[in-house]
Amino acid sequence: MAVPVIMPRQGQSVESCIISEIRKKKGDNVAVGDILFVYETDKATFEEEAKTDGIMLDVFFSEGDEVPVLTNVCVIGAAGESAGEFRPGNAGATQGAVVQDAPEVKNAQAATETRGGKPEASVSPEGKPLSETKGKQASEPEGKPAVGQEEAPRDLAATLKTEIAPGISPRARELADRKGVDTSRLQGSGPQGRIIERDVLAAAEAAKTSPLARRMMKDDPSLSAARGTGLAGMVTGRDLKTGTAAGRDINSGMPAGGSDFEIKPLTTIRKLIAKAMYQSLQNSAQLTHHLGADARRMTALRKKVKKAVEEGRSADITLNDMICYATIAALKKFPQANAHFLGDSVKLFSKVHLGVAVDTERGLMVPVVRNADSLSISELSGKIREIATACRKGSIDPELLSSEAASFTVSNLGNYGVEIFTPVINLPQVGILGVNTIVLRPKDLGDGTIGFVPYLGLSLTYDHRAIDGGEATRFVKQVAIEIENLDFEI
Amino acid sequence: MYDLAIIGGGPAGYVAAERAGGKGLRVVLFEKKDLGGVCLNVGCIPTKTLLYSAKLYDHALHSEKYGVKASEVTFDFPKMMARKNKVVKKMVLGVSAKMKENNVEVVRGEAMILSRSSAGIKISSGENEYTAKNLLIATGSESFIPRIPGLDMSDDTIMTSTEALALSEVPQSLVIVGGGVIGMEFASFFNSLGTKVTVVEMLDEVLTGMDRELCVMFREIYAKKGVEFNLSSKVTAIKGHDVVFEKGGETLTVTGDKILISVGRAPVTRGFGLENIGVELAGRGIKVDDRMRTNIPNVYAAGDVTGFSMLAHTASREGEVVVNNLTGGNDRMRYNAIPGVVYTNPEVSGTGLTEEAAKEKKTEYRVVSLPMTYSGRFVAENEGGTGLCKVLVGTKDEVLGVHMLGNPSSEMIYGACLAIESEMTLKELQEVVFPHPTVSEIFRETIFTF
Repeated sequence: MAVPVIMPRQGQSVESCIISEIRKKKGDNVAVGDILFVYETDKATFEEEAKTDGIMLDVFFSEGDEVPVLTNVCVIGAAGESAGEFRPGNAGATQGAVVQDAPEVKNAQAATETRGGKPEASVSPEGKPLSETKGKQASEPEGKPAVGQEEAPRDLAATLKTEIAPGISPRARELADRKGVDTSRLQGSGPQGRIIERDVLAAAEAAKTSPLARRMMKDDPSLSAARGTGLAGMVTGRDLKTGTAAGRDINSGMPAGGSDFEIKPLTTIRKLIAKAMYQSLQNSAQLTHHLGADARRMTALRKKVKKAVEEGRSADITLNDMICYATIAALKKFPQANAHFLGDSVKLFSKVHLGVAVDTERGLMVPVVRNADSLSISELSGKIREIATACRKGSIDPELLSSEAASFTVSNLGNYGVEIFTPVINLPQVGILGVNTIVLRPKDLGDGTIGFVPYLGLSLTYDHRAIDGGEATRFVKQVAIEIENLDFEI
Repeated sequence: MYDLAIIGGGPAGYVAAERAGGKGLRVVLFEKKDLGGVCLNVGCIPTKTLLYSAKLYDHALHSEKYGVKASEVTFDFPKMMARKNKVVKKMVLGVSAKMKENNVEVVRGEAMILSRSSAGIKISSGENEYTAKNLLIATGSESFIPRIPGLDMSDDTIMTSTEALALSEVPQSLVIVGGGVIGMEFASFFNSLGTKVTVVEMLDEVLTGMDRELCVMFREIYAKKGVEFNLSSKVTAIKGHDVVFEKGGETLTVTGDKILISVGRAPVTRGFGLENIGVELAGRGIKVDDRMRTNIPNVYAAGDVTGFSMLAHTASREGEVVVNNLTGGNDRMRYNAIPGVVYTNPEVSGTGLTEEAAKEKKTEYRVVSLPMTYSGRFVAENEGGTGLCKVLVGTKDEVLGVHMLGNPSSEMIYGACLAIESEMTLKELQEVVFPHPTVSEIFRETIFTF
């Protein structure tokens, strides 16, 4: 009864061993206790003793070959028995253990090259990935793997161990550990993009890293440095920590030791705002006109509202609500301001979808009140409050935040005391109305009397590609007129 | 049109000129006095030359313990000075030759920065005008003269290091105001020649900035040699040969044939038109970043004029950084491993963080100090002498600082600079083979003691 002898697994982390000596050749007599072959791991040398008597029917490897653990190395049996079924790489090969066949490793020459030389790119065996078939016999991969099988036994051994992350050979991984190379960023040139030894070697050469930096990266895999500022561009510990060089800060004249600043990556919302703002300014011809509205009527109405709110007769209608209401009215009269600029055309909206700028902890958001022109002032007020709260809570419907969703935007900085500013358009809208704080301005009250009246500054930024200055001015003047003539039921 | 105009031919200027010229740039260098600047003429070179003479005298006086008998050992001060002058001259000629070799046009005279425009930076010197694309200001520093009542530099009694190097005879007694590197080197020199030296230092220790433990050891060695130290002492007046100072609430006076003022050096930022192009200052010196750029494009500053690391070797490297970046490189200055050496006998050397600096920066460190006597060679050549080798490492065992008291630490400290710059940890250093028997092995020994 032919019995295969497998390459033992000498330890959890051993994936393969090298046969240093073959003591029993094909055809030799074997007695229990005879040394069949001598093999070595990274750490030690072992002798494999025969556990059965018989004749060495076949030896599948040569001295110097690196053999994955649990692979059939040779077969002992009675004279005349066939050993073919045990040959690694054969269809339906019987194994001494539960694993897949190993493709045959050709000769000592090729195998010894594995030791010191660079592995060739290996062609992956066709057929199922081995990890899937662990535990049962699988069919042999079609044909033998091509030139450069040095890597193949490794691959096989590697996948036997489920602990090993796919994508890097154990040899490469060990080398990477030793050289402090961060493999998470490497492109593998092995089969299926597997990272192999030469990839690690190349990486170690490319980015010179100081011993300290390597140690830091090993202890904290999240660290990395885009560039090195040490000797001849070497990546230093400081580069990993602060992402910048130690040096003298021109603003202080003293060396910037990394202790007077902190690098914070941008939040998603910040990135979005940055992009939108920059693009708006780059891709439009926007400028701002400033014009004032007499705010007496508005402030009087506000007083009335406040009183009514106290008496429970009314919902709270803020100054901003009033201004938005006035703006909507003006937009109905100036449809060209209630539009999107599309490059070769202008999209004129028949309804007003008003974007309202809301300041939140996370950043600026501009939710839209759809069909705002159909709302009464109190409905408008309620809607604005609703979407503003949703923004601050973080529960706003993202659909309502798109600058495409609004036809015009109002941005009120009155609460912050801003007197004049140049709001940035939310493209593709053609305009944005900035609302300033109310200041007292001298006005001729008639009959030679000069008095101070509350004055609300309006800063209209418009896209000159869509609207000319005259039109824009007339529009913002209309907004002022609407504000000065506000009238609604309380 | 020049690629680079350099004002100042000291270690920053002439090294930058050499490198720039060597790389094919059109360079003009303005030097109003002597090539080599303070370093070569009235600084590093002359002092070290004299100190060596003093060291030999020292050794000869104490050679008996080594089995060498030298009776009637004397010194010839004028000869020492003459030799010093010869060495200086040789070095200056060497710089001159280097300038020629590298096609640097040297203009002897004062430079005045006139203006800056898109056409370049205009500088005048004498009757001529020069235009350059880039300007490197390397005007160095001068002795700082504090405002002390009675301190009159025209009085022969009072001198700075420059005058001290031009003395014709050894003073009987010397009061040194300022216990920094320059003060201590002169203290060492004159003490060796038999002068009664008294030091008056405002801070609570001499050589502040170097590792404190070493400063204390150093002072004790020199106190034994007869130097009198007055620490935490503020000079309030100078009256003829008397130096009046306050110490611990008391007013005391010390007297000297000569009085050396060595309280520090101030960058030279005036007199050459810096204000005409709006270069910003920081403190006393020109403000620069780690590529030696000032706030004005194409205008750089290197060396003592920046007021930061006022050492000749820092100056040279800073000049090189400028030239490297002008010629397509991507260089920057690092200051984490600048060596500092005090050429007294014994020498004190250090690089990287001192314990005090580490504590101030709240940098975690471990420290090991070994007496120099752990080195066989040190014992062999320093009969009865003591010293210290101190190494600081960080949390990952990377070398943070190395400080040594003992000869020849000046020649050993560069090894520590290499280790710190390459961020070597104890592991790597332990694999380096040091020659035996040498004093440098003390470094290895200390590494292994962690």
